[in-house]
Amino acid sequence: MSTSRICPEWPQVDKNEYRGIWVYVEHQNGVIKDGSLQLIGKARELASKVNVGVTAVMVGHKLGDLVKEPIYYGADRVVYVDDEALAVYMPHVYASVIVNLVNKYKPEVVLFAATKRGRELAPYVANTLRTGITADCTDLDIDVKTRDLDQVRPTYGGNILAHIRTPTRRPQLASVRPNVFPTPPRDTSRKGEVIREVINNLPKPNGSLISIKPVTKGDSDLPPVEKADIVVAAGRGVGGPEGVKLLVELAKAIGGTVGGTKKVTDAGWLPVDRQIGQTGKTVRPTLYIGVGVSGAIQHIFGMKESKIIVAINSDPNAPIFEYADYGIVGDYRQVIQALLELLNQRRAGKGS
Amino acid sequence: MGATVISQVTPTQSVGKGEGLTIIVPVKAAVPNITAVRLDPVTHNLVREGVPLMLNPYDRNALEFALRLKDRYGGRVITLSMAPPSGKDFLESTIGMGADEAYLITDRVFAGADTLATSYTVAMTIRKLFPEFNLVVMGEETTDSTTAHMPAQVASWLGLPYLYYVVDGEVNLKEGTVRLTRYLEDEGVFEEYEFQMPVIVSVYKDSNPPREISLSRKIQARLGNLVKSVTNNELKLDQYCVGLRGSPTIVAKIEDAKPIPRKKQVFKGDPKEAAKWLIDNLTKEGVIKS
Ligand SMILES: Cc1cc2nc3c(=O)[nH]c(=O)nc-3n(C[C@H](O)[C@H](O)[C@H](O)COP(=O)(O)OP(=O)(O)OC[C@H]3O[C@@H](n4cnc5c(N)ncnc54)[C@H](O)[C@@H]3O)c2cc1C
Ligand SMILES: Nc1ncnc2c1ncn2[C@@H]1O[C@H](COP(=O)(O)O)[C@@H](O)[C@H]1O
Repeated sequence: MSTSRICPEWPQVDKNEYRGIWVYVEHQNGVIKDGSLQLIGKARELASKVNVGVTAVMVGHKLGDLVKEPIYYGADRVVYVDDEALAVYMPHVYASVIVNLVNKYKPEVVLFAATKRGRELAPYVANTLRTGITADCTDLDIDVKTRDLDQVRPTYGGNILAHIRTPTRRPQLASVRPNVFPTPPRDTSRKGEVIREVINNLPKPNGSLISIKPVTKGDSDLPPVEKADIVVAAGRGVGGPEGVKLLVELAKAIGGTVGGTKKVTDAGWLPVDRQIGQTGKTVRPTLYIGVGVSGAIQHIFGMKESKIIVAINSDPNAPIFEYADYGIVGDYRQVIQALLELLNQRRAGKGS
Repeated sequence: MGATVISQVTPTQSVGKGEGLTIIVPVKAAVPNITAVRLDPVTHNLVREGVPLMLNPYDRNALEFALRLKDRYGGRVITLSMAPPSGKDFLESTIGMGADEAYLITDRVFAGADTLATSYTVAMTIRKLFPEFNLVVMGEETTDSTTAHMPAQVASWLGLPYLYYVVDGEVNLKEGTVRLTRYLEDEGVFEEYEFQMPVIVSVYKDSNPPREISLSRKIQARLGNLVKSVTNNELKLDQYCVGLRGSPTIVAKIEDAKPIPRKKQVFKGDPKEAAKWLIDNLTKEGVIKS
């Protein structure tokens, strides 16, 4: 046990008592969030390096069979709390449940998907445990000797990678944006343990949820950017909402969706939930087509993991060409029109 | 099950006695151009000395949210920031925007803090200077660190409920409650909550477009020395809870991000030929169906 002087607000922790990799598994309307499933896959990798198990943690009410799902994606064990008082999500209450479970089981690592709720929850859990946390990691590794989690995150604009560690405290907390890691396959033949925990000292909610209203979306027939296999991204160079319409046409012709740069969402040409980049969504589709996108580092940050990158830009010196597999220098209207015609011909050719 | 470390909340009783709301807005000095920075070769921390500081842009949205509540329900808005001494200037701009008072929390022992130590310093300053506060309003995240940790951490230190991504609020002074609407971008929903104050909120970065900074108010702040400094002489925080020593995370290593190798084939010329060239290549890659 470390006896060196530490902040009196921090509990003494014995690092050796903490074992196992945990993933907080977030769910909404009976469906587990993709970001959580992806973390189970990564957790398996980390766990096998240090010979421990993967535990999924779930919190809510009327969870039913949902608690078995994490097993199918690679968890060895699910620890869950199902309580009427948890029917409504309250950040500090949910976070306190996780804190309680961590204090009982003492895992060495706890991972969170950096969804909007995950970003809200994780720092309260970390802070209440008086331990460190790293947000938006793009990679994770574990040092087999020290069992320190190597938390890799881009910093200061994205061109520097920082490796962050929490060498003296346990557990080690990290969040990862959805779609940074692939979703493991679902295998219903996998077996695992499911444990229900009861917590008696939940904090008072001191508040309540009054209403939930969905935002009305004009382009709801297109899938969200983070879920699509093909993403056509609009940049400032498309000139306006009319240009975006042309890209929607292209996206539909090739079975994809549209997203955009911050300049495009700031201008209101697309809703903000379609912004790709450091302060928007991370996408890793099989095909990304940037149209009138200059390739600012903050945008690149959110799409650089795509399998194939295409850029269409009138400026031959646009930085995006450095990140692209296939680049076309030219006016996007002409190129897209030509693409649409070709695609139509091909479809017509097949139909005849 | 083990005892939780969460203290219970004492509901606000002081509102509605004619004084209106006391709203604290912690703000950060962000480094303006995040791609042109210098890192300390030993600690890998950002070198802030000599770097011009500006108000984190999203904190202006947070301040706007606080000022709108003040406009509607009365009271005072106080900004505070843990920053190097040069932070005085951007705090003056918060007064220029409409804050009543501003505090610069500055001391050598606070240097090198990660978010745990920063949130501790900010939370303890609030507890010490403004124990009667009703709301702490923070930015969604900062542009130079983008962690969005601080609001939840401040809430944890103070043992209070909290809510992120808030876009709108309505106060009931008599009951000491606040109704908060928040936007969850990834779920595409607005949620409405009601809380007993005090409560900690972070403001959705694309809401509450900030009002102009009044230059004359800013000059007044400068001439009247309206930004007050607070050091650890007054706060008396344990030196092991703040700065580098109060920070459990370390930057073990930094490296240049290695880009994924790309083919970088570029076509210049007739758009029709370009389109054919692209479709052929994408079909070969197997990413679009032939
Ligand atoms: C803290 C911070 C966070 C940020 N986060 C993000 C983020 O998450 N996502 C993001 O995208 N940005 C983000 N940005 C903004 C980013 O720095 C860039 O400003 C932005 O990505 C540029 O958008 P753009 O490529 O659409 O526009 P521009 O940089 O203006 O580029 C427009 C391009 O269109 C081309 N063009 C013009 N006309 C045509 C035509 N007819 N045909 C073909 N091409 C044409 C031009 O040659 C140019 O290359 C952030 C910035 C900051 C400071
Ligand atoms: N040094 C600081 N002093 C005061 N408030 C801060 C400081 N750093 C961050 N904050 C607040 O916390 C919010 C979120 O910051 P972050 O967690 O760093 O992304 C900011 O928008 C500010 O409101």
